[in-house]
Amino acid sequence: MSATTAVRRVTFGPSPGRTTLTLGLGAVLVVVAATAAVLAGTSGIGIGDAAAIVVHRLTGIGPVTWPSSAETIVWELRLPRVLAGMVVGAGLACAGAVFQALLRNPLADPYIIGPAAGASLGAVAALLLPVTLAGWLGLGLVQLLAFVGGLAAVAVVFTVARGRGGTPVVTLLLAGYAISSLLSAAVAVMIFNAGERLGAVISWLLGSLAGASWARVGFAAPLIIISFTLLLLRWRRLNALLLGEAQAAHIGLDVEREKRILVALAALATSAGVAISGTIGFVGLVVPHLVRLAAGPDHRLLLPASMLYGAALLVLADLGARMAGGIPVGVVTALIGAPFFLWLLRRSIAGGWVSR
Amino acid sequence: MDRPRLTFLSLLLTLVLAAACTAAPEATPPGSTDAESPTPSPAASTSAAPFPVELTDDAGRELTIAAEPMRIVSLAPSNTEIVCALDACDRLVGVTDFDDYPAEVADVPDVVIAASVDVELVVGAEPDLVLAAGNELTPTAVIEQLDGLGLPVLVLYPETLDEVYADIQLIGAALGRRPAAAELVTSMEARVADVVTAVEGAERPLTLYEVFHAEGTTYTAGEGSFLASLLELAGAIPLVGDAQGVIDAESLVAADPELILLGTASYDPSLAEPEAALETVRARAGWADLAAVRDAAVVPYLDDITTTRPGPRIVDGLEALARAIHPDRFE
Repeated sequence: MSATTAVRRVTFGPSPGRTTLTLGLGAVLVVVAATAAVLAGTSGIGIGDAAAIVVHRLTGIGPVTWPSSAETIVWELRLPRVLAGMVVGAGLACAGAVFQALLRNPLADPYIIGPAAGASLGAVAALLLPVTLAGWLGLGLVQLLAFVGGLAAVAVVFTVARGRGGTPVVTLLLAGYAISSLLSAAVAVMIFNAGERLGAVISWLLGSLAGASWARVGFAAPLIIISFTLLLLRWRRLNALLLGEAQAAHIGLDVEREKRILVALAALATSAGVAISGTIGFVGLVVPHLVRLAAGPDHRLLLPASMLYGAALLVLADLGARMAGGIPVGVVTALIGAPFFLWLLRRSIAGGWVSR
Repeated sequence: MDRPRLTFLSLLLTLVLAAACTAAPEATPPGSTDAESPTPSPAASTSAAPFPVELTDDAGRELTIAAEPMRIVSLAPSNTEIVCALDACDRLVGVTDFDDYPAEVADVPDVVIAASVDVELVVGAEPDLVLAAGNELTPTAVIEQLDGLGLPVLVLYPETLDEVYADIQLIGAALGRRPAAAELVTSMEARVADVVTAVEGAERPLTLYEVFHAEGTTYTAGEGSFLASLLELAGAIPLVGDAQGVIDAESLVAADPELILLGTASYDPSLAEPEAALETVRARAGWADLAAVRDAAVVPYLDDITTTRPGPRIVDGLEALARAIHPDRFE
């Protein structure tokens, strides 16, 4: 592919064929991954039974030929877990794409300006507090404080980084790093004094979808969908930011206002995801790159494609984690995703279509 | 019964185990024989008909068991051993991959793998009673999840011998096996009393029980922990670490134990031979000057599992401790 096509892609967007292919393949992958993850598990429920249970619960059709435990496993354990994987994976990948564009930094991930550290502090504090909050929205205190902590950390970072002349990207990155370090230190102090709650603290910090429930999905899904929709509506402005802040301002974009809105929306999606799953790495960093390598940097395609591939990757990785005896899902995302990403990277270097 | 050798999981497990050594709220007072102290009974032990039975578990949760449980999932080896000691081994439908006693539990499917509870397998086993462990050995999140799915969960976490007796009676009440439980407790109490008598009046050595050792940090009995109370009953003065059982090299050298029991030898064959074990610990920074090392009073201790697993065999562990500390009293 020549430089001219790359320029044309930025200017006019990807060809309809490539868009259809990218989104179509992504949708197929999500459906395949979700189906596999609902049908497969460690208990010996037959694939046919599992499928029949889903159909029966959705439509009421068919005789019940399975024990009620099988229905509990499929409907109360696997399905919420798969849906949680989808929304968290989608939200993280989408937020990652936005942060990479906004900060013009290929190493940016959804956690870069503080939501992970803030959420961790909130969650660990909730784990160590001798209070339980019974059933507000079906969520525990841990999820609520993680969500609030994630948003609050980003708000603090943004406020600290904001000067008279705006919020320079470098300042934002450095402030994010500093605040994250501070919050992580606070978490470390709490870990040191966790005593008997140590195990609970560490399993939260490793990140897992094992605690997924309908209530948690019901909490995170709307927030992530709203944030995604509003981000997608701003695809032109995200594209403009790729040109650089000065250039974006020249073509009429209120860059500072845009930054505030984009950071708030991406932080919302990230915090909602982290609240129900802990900090799962890799998805938010690599999926946007993967999509960019395959389909170009236009956000009209990049955002929905990142969501689809992020969802598929996390669901598949979580299936792997479940089948491998409950190892942390972040380990599996890296195990599956990293080699594929490297292969794509090598291929794109050979093909000469890595622009920078 | 395979154990995936995942480093971070073993680390996690180690940390959790270390956390398990935290202080017991009411450790058994030194010298008191448990035969004399009244054993706390389960809430409903006075009711005549065995079922339905209302119970309060070690987490303070209340549970009503409507009918005799026939499908039991045990999420901790100590719970498994209690169930089997009450002659209900055949009711187990799920155990952990660490379960190794009695031998027949090898045939029961594992629902806890590498210290992580597979909730899907627990539900799939269709239990009418789940025996969990406290202190995050079964994560609170998992207990809440099982509660949410409507499974009856009993949380057990004994931190003293009296609490082991109480938990045996609690499980006895839950299974409709109260007489067997009472009988088991009585025989355990008698054996504990025998140990106390055997070591009575003997010199009490300052004893380091090595739970774990890495990079100059030793895990030993935590202050006020169950293990510390067992060491006292077995006729030793336990050298305790902090609440987590950690003792750093400096404090260890300053305390200068007279006897070292290497609980680690139960898992590390290279420590099982006394000569080799002595050489290994002598090579550690500062250990060569310890009184126990100079006097070659370093004992590979191979009964760590019974000593640290709060089930019926805890008395085996206590007897093994007493033999290791006072071999002359058991000739």
